[in-house]
Amino acid sequence: MKALLSTVFLLSTSAGFADTPLPGTTVDTHVLPGYETLAAQTAELSLAAATDCSVESPDLVAAYHDAFDAWIAVSHLRFGPSERNDRAFALAFWPDPRSATPKGLAALIADQDTVAANPDEFATVSVALRGFYALEQLLFDSQLTEAGPQEYICQLVRAIANDIAQNASEILLDWKTEYGNLMANPGNATYRTPDEALQQFFTALSTGLEFTAETRLGRPLGTFDRPRPNRAEARRSGRSLRNVIGSLTATKQLAEQLSMNDPKVEEAFNAAIQRATELDDPILAGVASPQERFRIEVLKQDIDNIRRILAEQVGPSLGIAAGFNSLDGD
Amino acid sequence: MANRRAFIVGMLATGLLPKATWADVGSPAFLSAGLTHDGTYVLCGLTASSQIAFTFPLPARGHAAAVHPKLAQAVAFARRPGTFAIVLDCASGRESVRLIAPAGRHFYGHGAYSADGELLFTTENDFDAGKGVIGVWSTRDHYARIGEFSSGGIGPHDIKLLPDGQTLVVANGGIETHPESGRTKLNLPTMKSNLSYLSLDGHILGQVELSNEYQRNSIRHLAVSQEATVAFAMQWQGDLTDQVPLLGTHRLADDRPPKLANADTFHNLQGYVGSVAANLRTIAITAPRGGALLEFSAQDLRLIDRLDLADVCGVAPLRSGFICTSGNGHVGPSNGHGFGDPYPIKWDNHLVAV
Repeated sequence: MKALLSTVFLLSTSAGFADTPLPGTTVDTHVLPGYETLAAQTAELSLAAATDCSVESPDLVAAYHDAFDAWIAVSHLRFGPSERNDRAFALAFWPDPRSATPKGLAALIADQDTVAANPDEFATVSVALRGFYALEQLLFDSQLTEAGPQEYICQLVRAIANDIAQNASEILLDWKTEYGNLMANPGNATYRTPDEALQQFFTALSTGLEFTAETRLGRPLGTFDRPRPNRAEARRSGRSLRNVIGSLTATKQLAEQLSMNDPKVEEAFNAAIQRATELDDPILAGVASPQERFRIEVLKQDIDNIRRILAEQVGPSLGIAAGFNSLDGD
Repeated sequence: MANRRAFIVGMLATGLLPKATWADVGSPAFLSAGLTHDGTYVLCGLTASSQIAFTFPLPARGHAAAVHPKLAQAVAFARRPGTFAIVLDCASGRESVRLIAPAGRHFYGHGAYSADGELLFTTENDFDAGKGVIGVWSTRDHYARIGEFSSGGIGPHDIKLLPDGQTLVVANGGIETHPESGRTKLNLPTMKSNLSYLSLDGHILGQVELSNEYQRNSIRHLAVSQEATVAFAMQWQGDLTDQVPLLGTHRLADDRPPKLANADTFHNLQGYVGSVAANLRTIAITAPRGGALLEFSAQDLRLIDRLDLADVCGVAPLRSGFICTSGNGHVGPSNGHGFGDPYPIKWDNHLVAV
């Protein structure tokens, strides 16, 4: 009985001293800066396209990469403003197993569809034809762009860049004027308690890491007998590994906040980021060679290890059960 | 050996041998897959009083089971994207047949027998084409694969036979996946879930889709009442703070859109329902991520009761109320009374009545 009482005492004492993460801090230091950068870089991208829409323009290509980096840094924050009107899907339609993006762009180009001339109208076309992955195909797939007149390709590049910037600024505006407040000051219909807001961040973190492991790495890995290097994300512009590292770096920041700087979490992220950096394989072409493939598989295991630590140790502290069924997803 | 076994299965099917009964394996009232404390995946029989009747090892994680309508036989299905299903012979307590999904297909974890038990229907993924398939197996012929037809959509998950014995209802979840990218959802922006009613030879008799605002709702699990009302449980793939209905009912006979439960009811369930069961007047859903079992009136889908139980998922109808299981080993009635000590088994998604 005594032992039990002292345990209870210890637990309540430690709870009294323990800090808990504040959702408002994450909004201010993680979400808003990320979306501010995205809004700024995509505005630059739109300006670069307006200035010189040639697919060979070095300024345009540089702006494309900067803006894409900014997107990757927030691409795990898939809730709230990013999900309204399918904005995030309109920024990032990938993976694309049925090749909707190249097929749809080819059709627009073949028809010289006038939808590209009108920004309002362009915002209503299929999400597969908008965003970074559509723009990448125009900038880096010469087979696609040589199929149509330069003026039309130019118009399409501008329409997509403009649409990306518009979308990014709408997401930022919603976060600044409304949604950030819902998370920072829970007790509203969306977030009734701070825990609910933290759980949303944790879900975004887990889902983001799962996407990097299963999709960014898993799709090109395919199987040992049938690797799929052509499925690597944004490989035309050489960004496959860059996106992996960018996403790990961004999710690391969020994980540090949610775990109150748990050294095990930091260590696990550092191991994965270091391994990714050392890969030196921008388009993950190594999936098709037995030796190189092994290193990419180990990177995937590193990320799975982060996910396991988060699910087993950080999630429960935020009231997210690491249950047999709750993690199942069927 | 295989021939002899086929012969016996055939004899059993034609009723020439005295039938083995479930009594030979401890008279289970329910079946559930699970994970034991030593890491073995199993299929267990549970009696009406929540005792373990038998434990049968599985080669990998199971999901749901289907019970033969005439013989004391059951099939345990591998969890998606698994490729095996095991027919359990209750007399010996051993595996009698193993179904292997054909090349280019994997199981989704559910299946249904025809009313006479001659055919078994399985939900499958034709993953290179990204299309849903219903596999057809002849139980009389040693569970030979005898055909397949379209499920009427992408990602067919649960499948049930309606009481008329002529109609299958399939929950096409709408989500494309490919085993090479694990459980990654490949088509969320364009996904379209539906409820498809199919004849036993694969003709589409009716289809129900959700309105556009619920385009990201994936119809996943089904329960059919004696009056052929289909209760369907959904999993929301959009923003988790959106308030959306996760339970609906529909009748093929009525030419009407489905009834949906009030969206407010599902707050804090993380958009995720794992199982659904129906008895005469009520419908129960389980929400393992929300740690709750919710009971609704079947008539108007009004919430009438709630049980908070961490990681609850398996649920099956009792004459009155429901029995449920959790990933923490609990088995007990949905009124929350009469839970014994938890078993050292993590009960998996589905509890199936024998």
